[in-house]
Amino acid sequence: MLDGLSFELFMAILVSVTPVVCFGLIMIFTLRSISASVTIGIIGSFLVWFASLYLFIHHWPATEVVIHQANWVVSESIKIPFGFYFDPHSLLMLMIVATISLVIQIYSMGYMAGDPGKSRYYAFLCLFAWSMINLVIAPGLLQLYVFWELVGLSSYLLIGFYFEKWSASEAGKKAFVMTRAGDIGFFIGLVMLMLTTGHLSVAVFSDAAELSKAGLSQTFLTVSAILIFCGAVGKSAQFPLLTWLPDAMEGPTPVSALLHSATMVAAGVYLTARVFPFYEASAAAMLVVLVIGTITMLLSSTMAMTARDIKQVWAFSTVSQLGFMFMGLGAGAYFAGVFHLTTHAFFKALLFLCAGVFIHHFDTNDFFEMSKLGARKMLIPMITVTIGVCALSGIPPFSGFFSKEAIMGALADKHNKIWLVAGLLGAAMTAYYSFRVIFTMWFPKGESVEHGHGHESGHGEGHDEGRWAWAVEWSMLIVLLILAAITVVLGFFHTRIEVFLTGHHAEHAGSYVVLALALLCALAGVVLAWFEFGAKKAKQVGFLSYIKPVEALFSNRWYMDHFYRWLLDYVAYGVFTNLFTRNDRVVIDGGIDGLTRFTISMGRVISRVQSGLLQYNLYLTFFILALMGLYFLLV
Amino acid sequence: MNQLEVYLFVALVMFCLGLLGVLQHRSLIAMLISVELMLNAASINFMAFNRFLTPEPAVGQIVTLFIIGTAAAEAAVGLSIILAVFRRYQSIDVEKARELKG
Repeated sequence: MLDGLSFELFMAILVSVTPVVCFGLIMIFTLRSISASVTIGIIGSFLVWFASLYLFIHHWPATEVVIHQANWVVSESIKIPFGFYFDPHSLLMLMIVATISLVIQIYSMGYMAGDPGKSRYYAFLCLFAWSMINLVIAPGLLQLYVFWELVGLSSYLLIGFYFEKWSASEAGKKAFVMTRAGDIGFFIGLVMLMLTTGHLSVAVFSDAAELSKAGLSQTFLTVSAILIFCGAVGKSAQFPLLTWLPDAMEGPTPVSALLHSATMVAAGVYLTARVFPFYEASAAAMLVVLVIGTITMLLSSTMAMTARDIKQVWAFSTVSQLGFMFMGLGAGAYFAGVFHLTTHAFFKALLFLCAGVFIHHFDTNDFFEMSKLGARKMLIPMITVTIGVCALSGIPPFSGFFSKEAIMGALADKHNKIWLVAGLLGAAMTAYYSFRVIFTMWFPKGESVEHGHGHESGHGEGHDEGRWAWAVEWSMLIVLLILAAITVVLGFFHTRIEVFLTGHHAEHAGSYVVLALALLCALAGVVLAWFEFGAKKAKQVGFLSYIKPVEALFSNRWYMDHFYRWLLDYVAYGVFTNLFTRNDRVVIDGGIDGLTRFTISMGRVISRVQSGLLQYNLYLTFFILALMGLYFLLV
Repeated sequence: MNQLEVYLFVALVMFCLGLLGVLQHRSLIAMLISVELMLNAASINFMAFNRFLTPEPAVGQIVTLFIIGTAAAEAAVGLSIILAVFRRYQSIDVEKARELKG
């Protein structure tokens, strides 16, 4: 137990088991006692974080992959392992998940103060962390799939946390069902791979040399890769399954932060990056990834430009950044995609948590309203949110800048420059919509029409906990400071992380032009936002409101929800449900009724035989016996 | 005349008469008598086969004795049932006793 290897294994088990133990403890024993639940949750997260840190450092120059696994299902041609798989990619992701879920739990102490369901909330957070951690360190795609679904389940539980609110429970359902639509494709892809290769080992799919040994045909690779990508489309809210994500804002804000940075939506990108060589083997699949990523990025950026709800803006920006990661992966830049996932996890968590502080304080989601109520006076959240926005827009020297540049470089390397143009356009839009929020909040215009300080309603009762109020406040602010620090610093570890992940550092030749272009686009967005929202005489109306149809299109999310509604009402309910009901009524009900009616009438006919007249029965018996005798005589 | 077929033929005729009686008569007593006739036809068969075919003479006779014994018991049971039926319906006509019809 105490020599090096086993201690490491012990740590791995600690990482993968602790959260579910915490979940069980809270659910079984401490549901009544909020403070005990919170303690369990936070101690558990600290344990996981330290264990992850140990593993991360222990494997630091990770040149070889460490696998601890046992066989789960063994059959003649099928072997399915479960256990732990540590390579640079999973270690990096593990570190992100552990860190984010730890800070979110600390933050939630303050944010959820006074909520009667806090124990349940912490239990679900633990469940969420457990699913995501085991997804990340899965050595086989089946284990990954199992935890993938568990992530779906726990996100459902958390999004619908305020289940007594109709819209929240609907949003939870929507997230669950829409991601499931993608998972069908994922599952079919897994079955195809399983039947052909007989194993779903990550070690093979994440190694180009091993993969080529398996001798899969090009068509097969393309089809299965695209099917698996369906799962990623659902989880990472890509076009056309992106509409669940903005609705998922119904959950508590820390949940949005967790969902949007390190867990739920990152799972799709992680999966694609996890089996990246598998995608690389098929040019068509890569193209699909690239196209879907681009469409999503552009669509959701436009949606973010008209939203007034601060959480909605960040939600759309998450979708668009995820699209951006997929663009990077689709363009063949493994490192760029993963690095953007890493930086995005931190700055997006930061943005959401800042939004949470404002929402907690002002009790409104509308950032115009917040600005009027005096958001600029809350210095720490304002500064940190500005740092987050700079990172999001790709302003140097914040972390987002480095990862965006990496993706832009990859896009520029593509022969077709249209991807680069789309990327630059996206960058400009991102800068515009995020600085729209910031400028509005820094420079309030006009007076609030609503009540002064909205402390009266909502979940905000936790403010007045007497002498612990400062602790509640600071548990949130300290997290913001930590995340802001990471956001500022992380970019400078660019090369180190690249070496850690890919083993070498690739120089992008001639990328200075691209770099300058990307910066220019981002600055253009910022300047536009300044003149419309920041400058002294700005009216705080976006240029889009001059073109009404376009604004309506954007703010109605390109009518995608309407389209799905229509699809459900007319195609699913109107045609299929109708047909199925009719089949149920006519064929099945009718068939059974006919059968019973036939039985009854036959019974009536045959019951005549039972006349109670002994002698007729005897006649019949004798007659049959005579017939039988005749038969035996003749044959 | 000492042939097996003759005995079998007589037994057959008796059996058929008995069967006919059971099927035709409406009176329970007449039906009981017809059943006795059929039993006796069977006894004649046993005795005839015993006489002409088997080297061991006792078996057929024993079976016949059994049949006579059983017939006596059956007559006792049958008559008591008939009595019960008569008490219930004031008649021993089978047409009347059809409460069990389906």
